[in-house]
Parts: sequence; C-alpha cells; structure tokens
Amino acid sequence: MNAAAGATLTAASLPDGGAHALAAPSGVASAQTPKSITIDAYCTVGIDREYNLTEAQLVTAMDKAGVDRAVIAPPDRFLAVYNREGNESVRKAALAYKTRLLPSCSVNPWYGKPAIEELRRALGEGARMVILHPFIQGFLANDEIVFPVIEEAEKAKVPVYIHTGPPGNATPWKVVDLADQYPQVDFIMGHCGSTDLWADVIHAATAAPNVYCESSMARPFRFVGYMEAGSSKGIMGSYAPINELTFEWEQMRTFLPKETHADCLGNNFCALLRKRGPV
Amino acid sequence: MIHDCHTHWGMQWSDPKKWLAVLDKHGIDKAFLMGGANLYDSGLCQQDNDHLAQLTREYPDRFLPLGTAWPQHEKRGVAEAARCLEKLRMKGLKFHPYIQGFSTAGVYLREMCGLAGELKAPVFFHDGTPTYSLPEQIGGLARKFPKTRFVLGHCGLIWEWRSALQAMRLPNVWGVLCGPHMRAIEIFCERLDPDRLLWGSDFGWGLADQIEYRYNVMLRSKIPDKLKERILSVNPVRLLQYT
Repeated sequence: MNAAAGATLTAASLPDGGAHALAAPSGVASAQTPKSITIDAYCTVGIDREYNLTEAQLVTAMDKAGVDRAVIAPPDRFLAVYNREGNESVRKAALAYKTRLLPSCSVNPWYGKPAIEELRRALGEGARMVILHPFIQGFLANDEIVFPVIEEAEKAKVPVYIHTGPPGNATPWKVVDLADQYPQVDFIMGHCGSTDLWADVIHAATAAPNVYCESSMARPFRFVGYMEAGSSKGIMGSYAPINELTFEWEQMRTFLPKETHADCLGNNFCALLRKRGPV
Repeated sequence: MIHDCHTHWGMQWSDPKKWLAVLDKHGIDKAFLMGGANLYDSGLCQQDNDHLAQLTREYPDRFLPLGTAWPQHEKRGVAEAARCLEKLRMKGLKFHPYIQGFSTAGVYLREMCGLAGELKAPVFFHDGTPTYSLPEQIGGLARKFPKTRFVLGHCGLIWEWRSALQAMRLPNVWGVLCGPHMRAIEIFCERLDPDRLLWGSDFGWGLADQIEYRYNVMLRSKIPDKLKERILSVNPVRLLQYT
C-alpha cells in the first residue's frame, strides 16, 4: 500500500487542520451531536473557456446561497491533461478558504503509472474526492484502464465522482459495473446521466448500494423524481459556474421536499467525505 | 409577447386549461406546441396531429402547432407531413429521430424537409442525443436544403452544445435555448447571429413545471435585456413570419 494514500489521514493533515469539523450527519456513527451541513458537491474554480470563477467569487456565492462547504475541481482542460497543475491549483484555492472549500483531484488514466503517482501525491496532500470525466478524458467508465485509479481511491477512502451522460462514455450502468467490482468505494453519478440517460437512473442507483446521485445538470424538477431511489442517495451539486450557484440552490430548495433537505443538501455527501476524515 | 418555442402536449395531459395555467403562471403568451403520442407511437401519429390542430382551434391565440410524420411510412409519411402543413395549417414540422427511431440520412425524411422548405415552414428537431439526433447531422440536412429553416430544439443539450455552436454557423439553422447550461446560453448569445436564437422550456413532456427553471435560467443569464427581448418575443415571430 502506498504510504501517502494508505496512511490514515489525521485532522492535522487536512487543509483546515480539522479545525472546522462538523458533526456526523444522521445515520453516521459519531459521539458528537448530529447537525446539518450544506455542501455543494461540485464547483469548478479557474478561468478557462466557459469557466470563469475564482475561489473568492465562489465563496461569496456560497455565502449568498447559505452553503457551508463546496468541493472544488479544476476546469476541463486540467482533467484531460496537465493534471498536476489542475490538482495543485485546486489545492491552493482550497487552502486560501480552508474553512469553506475542499479540494478534489483528478488524473487521466491514459497516463498510466505517472497518473497513479500523481493521484497518490494529490490524495496525500489532502484531496477529498477523485474526479473522473470519461467523455473529456477519453475512455469508457467501466474500462479496466480505470481500475488502478479506483483502487487508489479505495485505499484513501475517498468517493469517486464520475461525470455521466451522453454520448455514452459514462452511463449510469457503467458506474454500476464499477460499483459492483469495488463495493467499498462510494461512486457519485455526476449529473445523473443527463440528459438522455435519465430513464436508467433510478434502476441503476438502486442496483448498487454504493452509488449516489448528484444533481447538477439533472435539473431540480427532474432530480426530485430520482429520489425514488431513496433520499439517502441524493447529493446536491451546482456545477458552478456553468450553472449559477445561488440559482441552483434556490431551485433545489424549492423543488425538493423539505424533509429531504438535510440529507440531499449535505448530510449524505458529508457521510462519504467523513470516511477519510472530518469535514 | 413571450413565446415558449419548445413545448409538448404530452401523453399525461388531458385538460388544456391546466396546461395553459402553467404558462399563465409564468407570463408566457404563446407556445410552439409539439406532440407526445405522435413521437412515441407511429400508429397515433395522425390522431395526435389532429389533436394538436384541434387544440389550436380552441386556443388560437396561445398555440402554434408543429406536426410530425414518420419517414418509416415512406410515401404515406410524406403525405402526412403535407397534410399537417397544408390541410391542418400547422406552423411547421417536428422530428425526434432518437425516439422515433430513424436516421436523418433517409430519403423520405429528406423529401419532407424539401417540402417544408417549399411551404416556408420551419423544421424542428430534437438534438443533442447520439446517434440519430446530433446537431451536426441536422447541419447536414441544412446544407442539403438551404431554403429550409431548421431549428435545433435543444441547442445540443448539455454535452453537444459546442457542436450546436458550429451547426448554427449555417444561415438556415436556428436554435432553441432549451437544455444547455447558463454559461453555454451566454456563449450562444455572444457568438451567434442574434436573429436566429429562440427560447423554450420543453414543458409538457411530463407533468413537472419545467418553465420555472428554464425561464429563470434565461432571465438570469448575463445577456443584454434587448437581446433577451429579441429571443423571447421578436425572433419567434420572424421564424414563422406570421405577422
């Protein structure tokens, strides 16, 4: 096992030093009193092509929308290539707002061994989620090429976020294929296959206990229906800035039944993140 | 006068008053009305086309109907397209190759596209979905039929919007901003001919109020107010040339 990825991460090694750890959400074993948290599962920080958001602007939007935390990712270019630059940029942005932003990391599996080395490094530096974007990165989500990446995520106890949707590189059922083979890893079905793979979402999400449904691009009016798979599966993401964060949160709070707000708007995701350490 | 250029009379609906109440709630005046049953079931095509025409007779100030036909019906399909435009006086045609299950390369679809051009009726397409409904495939039709106006019903949806940007370089391709995210909508408005942009919600496909979300995405986008007005009110009229 790799030393960096395999070591149990202590609060002190996290970007915020554990200073702002919140209590575990409902259903998660903890000695602390359960308390709600709002977390945006996917925001992109950086300026490139359609992306135009700085970390300062993101935190301002979060304040306005009443969002406690956000996981941040780099623009698409840095998912496809220049992975290290992307991971470092996100890490530094999160450090600048260590009580609010959580860094993710990504590597393109086509880079092979160097990709795994970079992944171990980024996870060792405190990344809290692994992102895969099969459409942008150029592979099929259930291709063996991705297995070493998933294995590193498993060692580090971090969730794997997979962008899903047409043209078919990453469908809901491809995510289930991975989830079957890695039952200890939590898989987040980014965008719920939006748009045209929507019909698969509920069946796929219920087929694997370790698959969760992320809302961005799925649109609130449709995401509500996906919760037929169970509100314990729901994870709110805005995908700011290509969607407006405040608007997405406002709409989601309008469409989602109130009794599911705590789970879908933060607690479910928090439970996954806490497997690695405090949030 | 606000136009929603992408709505459906979905199979779940029975009461047009309830349907129109959702439009009223958001201040939408007119709706380009496409079918639901006629896109899913070739056997219901004529019946649903007739129903759309009937709804328009009942609410002539609210509905702008678009009929469909099935290229798989060959000559009979072409005749149904002609019936929609000439006898039922529908405003245009709508095709959903992904659901209807045909390729845009087929000879009878091409015949229908040529007919629509002769009758100066726009042809709407579902787009954004492989393998039959990609923006570039509709661009291919636009190249073949330069006198026909083609409308991308979704501007490429979420993952094909950059292809829609390219397809809309063709002067006879219009696009409905219905599906792409807010930043993509802003980029369409920055880069493309502002006279060929429309807005729509896809309301009616199911029972959910999709207008609430999609109209507000449009309104909150960083687009000059004058351009918003053009998209919502002026361009739909120009597309149909009904004033």
